[in-house]
Amino acid sequence: MTHADAADAPRPGGDASGEGGGSSPARRRGAEAERPGPGARLVRFLREVVAELRKVVRPTRRELLTYTSVVLVFVAVVMLYVSGLDYVFGRAVLWVFGGG
Amino acid sequence: MLSAFVRAFRTPDLRRKLLFTAGIMAIFRLGSFVPVPGVSYANVQQCLSTSASSNDLLGLVNLFSGGALLQLSVFALGIMPYITASIITQLLTVVIPRFEELKKEGQSGQAKLTQYTRYLTIALAVLQSSTYIAVARAGQLFPGCTAEIIPDDSVVTIVLMVITMTAGTGLIMWMGELITERGVGNGMSLLIFTSIAATFPGQLWSIGQSQGFGVMAVVIAVGLVIVALVVFVEQSQRRVPVQYAKRMVGRRMYGGTSTYIPIKVNMAGVIPVIFASSLLYLPALVAQFNDPQSGWVQWVNANLVQGDSAVYIVAYIALIIFFTYFYVGITFNPDEVSDNIKRVGGFIPGVRAGRPTAEYLDYVLTRITLPGAIYLGFVALIPLIALVLVGATQNFPFGGTSILIVVGVGLETVKQIESQLQQRNYEGFLR
Repeated sequence: MTHADAADAPRPGGDASGEGGGSSPARRRGAEAERPGPGARLVRFLREVVAELRKVVRPTRRELLTYTSVVLVFVAVVMLYVSGLDYVFGRAVLWVFGGG
Repeated sequence: MLSAFVRAFRTPDLRRKLLFTAGIMAIFRLGSFVPVPGVSYANVQQCLSTSASSNDLLGLVNLFSGGALLQLSVFALGIMPYITASIITQLLTVVIPRFEELKKEGQSGQAKLTQYTRYLTIALAVLQSSTYIAVARAGQLFPGCTAEIIPDDSVVTIVLMVITMTAGTGLIMWMGELITERGVGNGMSLLIFTSIAATFPGQLWSIGQSQGFGVMAVVIAVGLVIVALVVFVEQSQRRVPVQYAKRMVGRRMYGGTSTYIPIKVNMAGVIPVIFASSLLYLPALVAQFNDPQSGWVQWVNANLVQGDSAVYIVAYIALIIFFTYFYVGITFNPDEVSDNIKRVGGFIPGVRAGRPTAEYLDYVLTRITLPGAIYLGFVALIPLIALVLVGATQNFPFGGTSILIVVGVGLETVKQIESQLQQRNYEGFLR
């Protein structure tokens, strides 16, 4: 993916040079001012999104398994606890208010 | 791993926190069962059993309140007013200059904002409780059920009911803050989590009974896959490297290490989904109390109540993407982070310190958040897909909104317990 790399690598430098002017609202539009059309800008943005997404660190298989199982156990425990509470409270409230 | 749970209970400090949280959760559930004064409990139960698949619109609210709403209990409103109030104050920080000033002020300003949120919550609670009671009195809460829910509808009783429900919301708000302060996890999200967890088993069971247990097994399997998917995305992060300069302080060398700033793909967590879904239900709520013949009410009922209309889907996804960017913008301030890096003598390799760093962080953030927002929208739409495939109801147990909240809050809470466990001994559950 040479495109993705190219989109990223010159990035910081380009920003820094645009910075010297000190015009505040220019931001990242400064680099794109020469580029015509919102369509091209959108394509460029999407390409940059993909480039950033490639650098995302994904969890390993083992990490994924432990996290998933821990979350499942936790959710199951809370669910059991809440169901237990609900059963008890449901009975109690029925006993107190059921007659009226 | 299970031994880690046991160890969590062996640590006295952590045990106290866990038990405290569990106790608050118990009170929360108890309040969801105790009926408001003036309500005929027997009649409500009768209506609940006859019209099992009741009001579509109130389904979501009912889910968020753990089934308390339709029981007309003390905690009927749940935390919905608080959520709505915090959305409003968050939005107002952008609109009203005074709020923005308060937000920038730091700790004391933040406390002031929290206070405004609380006042707003009470106001909204009064509004919502009176509307619900009006609906219940008119017999619209359970369409088709003739039993009188409120036998004595004198003004005094009605006022008493409104006051009770408002007080219940106030109490929930306080309990949530107590959990955040003295328990584990974020109180508000943990209470939503409790409510959703309360409705899960029952819904699963009803699917099993009505569709056969094969379908139930499939639903559980799909649920597990979604849980794994959510965990996967929640754990994915873009690591922006930060290098620290070496420096001499006295005779010692400090720094020279390299770390990274973790930028999660979904930095906003579950908040955008909660915000979007509760905001989207407001027009439907407003419409319910207006003339059902007028044009806009019919339009709202046709397009914004059911989750399968195109308008609803588009609006939902748009709101989720908006709130994702909005919330990331509120919680992660690139200027502040770049300032911090500069102050401790660090820099991002290849980027100059100061403004360029902030701009680089902003660049990464706006780009990495797009997939995150799309992912949130996708997961939130899963119930719709399920609706088509299995023919399940709107509040399908493994529906997107609820599963995101459950997994998100679960992950957050477990991590917090883990980090507290590690303060004592170095092994947690997450190895």
